Amino acid sequence: MSGVTVSAIAKAYGSLKVLQDIDLEVQPGEFTVLLGPSGCGKSTLLSAIAGLDEIDSGTVTIAGEDVTDREPSQRGIAMVFQSYALYPTMTVRGNLSFGLKVKRLPKAEIERRVGKTADMLQLTPLLDRKPGQLSGGQRQRVAIGRALVQDAKLFLFDEPLSNLDAKLRTEMRVEIKKLHKDLGMTIVYVTHDQIEAMTLATRIAVMKGGQIEQYAAPDELYERPATLFVAGFVGAPAMNFFPGTVHGGHVVIDGLSLPLDPLPLAGAVADGTKVILGVRPEHVGLADDGAQGTIVDASTDFLEPMGADTLGWFLLGRHRISCRLAPQRARSVSGLVRLALDLRHASLFDANSERRL
Amino acid sequence: MRKHAKAFSAARLGIYGFLIISALFFLLPLYVMIVTSLKGMPEVRQGNLLSLPMAPTIAAWVKAWSSACTGLSCNGISVGFFNSVKILLPSVTASIAVGAVTGYALSLWRPRGAALLFGILMAVAFVPYQVFLFPLVRMFSFVGLNSSLPGIIVVHTIFGLPTMTLIFRNYFAGIPLELMKAARVDGAGFWRIFGTIMLPMAVPIIVVAIILQVTGIWNDFIFGLVFAGRENFPMTVQLNNVVNSTQGEREYNVDMAATILTALVPLAVYFISGRWFVRGIAAGAVKG
Repeated sequence: MSGVTVSAIAKAYGSLKVLQDIDLEVQPGEFTVLLGPSGCGKSTLLSAIAGLDEIDSGTVTIAGEDVTDREPSQRGIAMVFQSYALYPTMTVRGNLSFGLKVKRLPKAEIERRVGKTADMLQLTPLLDRKPGQLSGGQRQRVAIGRALVQDAKLFLFDEPLSNLDAKLRTEMRVEIKKLHKDLGMTIVYVTHDQIEAMTLATRIAVMKGGQIEQYAAPDELYERPATLFVAGFVGAPAMNFFPGTVHGGHVVIDGLSLPLDPLPLAGAVADGTKVILGVRPEHVGLADDGAQGTIVDASTDFLEPMGADTLGWFLLGRHRISCRLAPQRARSVSGLVRLALDLRHASLFDANSERRL
Repeated sequence: MRKHAKAFSAARLGIYGFLIISALFFLLPLYVMIVTSLKGMPEVRQGNLLSLPMAPTIAAWVKAWSSACTGLSCNGISVGFFNSVKILLPSVTASIAVGAVTGYALSLWRPRGAALLFGILMAVAFVPYQVFLFPLVRMFSFVGLNSSLPGIIVVHTIFGLPTMTLIFRNYFAGIPLELMKAARVDGAGFWRIFGTIMLPMAVPIIVVAIILQVTGIWNDFIFGLVFAGRENFPMTVQLNNVVNSTQGEREYNVDMAATILTALVPLAVYFISGRWFVRGIAAGAVKG
């Protein structure tokens, strides 16, 4: 097992900078997810690690070796693609063994590895079928099998689950997580789905505009987002944001004044600083039910039942604020309410730099 | 039973009428050719083009095949047939092979200047052949390829290149790039990907290419006349010689038989592969 170090990678198409001086370190056995909206450069970064896209500058090191100028096949990687990219004229067995045949492994060794991988992924009964005769989930497993059979140092996944329906996606997510737990391989995984990222990753790199906004463990990312973008992108339902100004140890939001001292701030914030306060829906409660925190008055706007809980939307002055409620409780919520904001878990961002304060 | 009611509506009648007239229009010449080829000369002299032969005979066919005179030699059109086959097989194989590789490289490897190269190839495809004839003859003479079998094969390969490249490029352009990436990660190179992944996927378009090239090369007259040399004249040139070498009476029955014999190969190709042809053309045309 071995890690990856990406340092100062840059790539531009004309004047469009797709990757801007990216540094990324993946420890051996780590499951790193590159997360971001489309066009943020996450797939380009993965291609750069794979060696499928040329980079303008920077280096890629895999397992301690500088592979920047090497062909993809010389980098000790295996890759799973979004469209599966199975060879349509070959059987499942042919797909799994193709790379090994190219590497001129002995026949017995190829058979042993294909058999072992097929066993692990329950592909054995499908070995003589062609990809066209398989369901979406089976094709996905073949694609994963084609990577696993390689015995690679590093596994790259490019949005592998986005072509599956919701139920299958959850199942495959669990399978991938289990594979990582059992085999402990090093993985770099690209997705735009934050739930996939949160559930799978040991560390998530959130990307935007060709840069990494934050690279941290899922908990850290969720609880202490480094930038406004990360705070808004990670978490569903999304974090509530309120623009305001700092004044005398309080943040003033349209006349509503909230104390700053419960917040986990890195340092003192000067008076007059324009800020954005972020509160997650689960840190807003009904004061009448005994929820702790800073109490504010609000009026009920509407309720969104989501099954396990109901999302209550309230009006706080001009701003709408969402709150996770128990469904039974939510049914009797109406009119004016007193909300408790648990500011100990809130985030404060500089309105100009959009960075965490 | 609604089907029957519909079959006799005025619109239907019109359509069938039109189709029957069209079919007659195209089939009539063929009918005349077949009927005439089965007649003896006394019957031909009577000039009843449409009448059925009173004493059907295949003598004209035998003569056309084995003993009709082309210029000075009288060995029939069979010589031309075998010449055409000798030209056809390597030319079709070479032009498709070169076109397939070029199309594959241009669409899936996208080397620098691929678009420009393809543009030039397409532009040149529209220049009339006649323009190239004289320069090519000079060039071939210079390298000793003129009037030879390899010469005519090279000519067919070169002139087939634009079309072959176009259809293969368009076909391969429809293949997802991720497949290429997967193969590259698996360690396969240019030729391996071509041979083991792309070519097996390209069977429908290969069939189309074979049809286009077989009919095109078989029907060629001018290249065969100019580049093949007297020894290797293809069937089309021989046919022309048979029809034009008039010593005494013009034997229309032999001419007809020789013409049908010459047309048989493309005709057979169309009948055997019509279904594939339509499918492949559609597959190649939609994308790219």
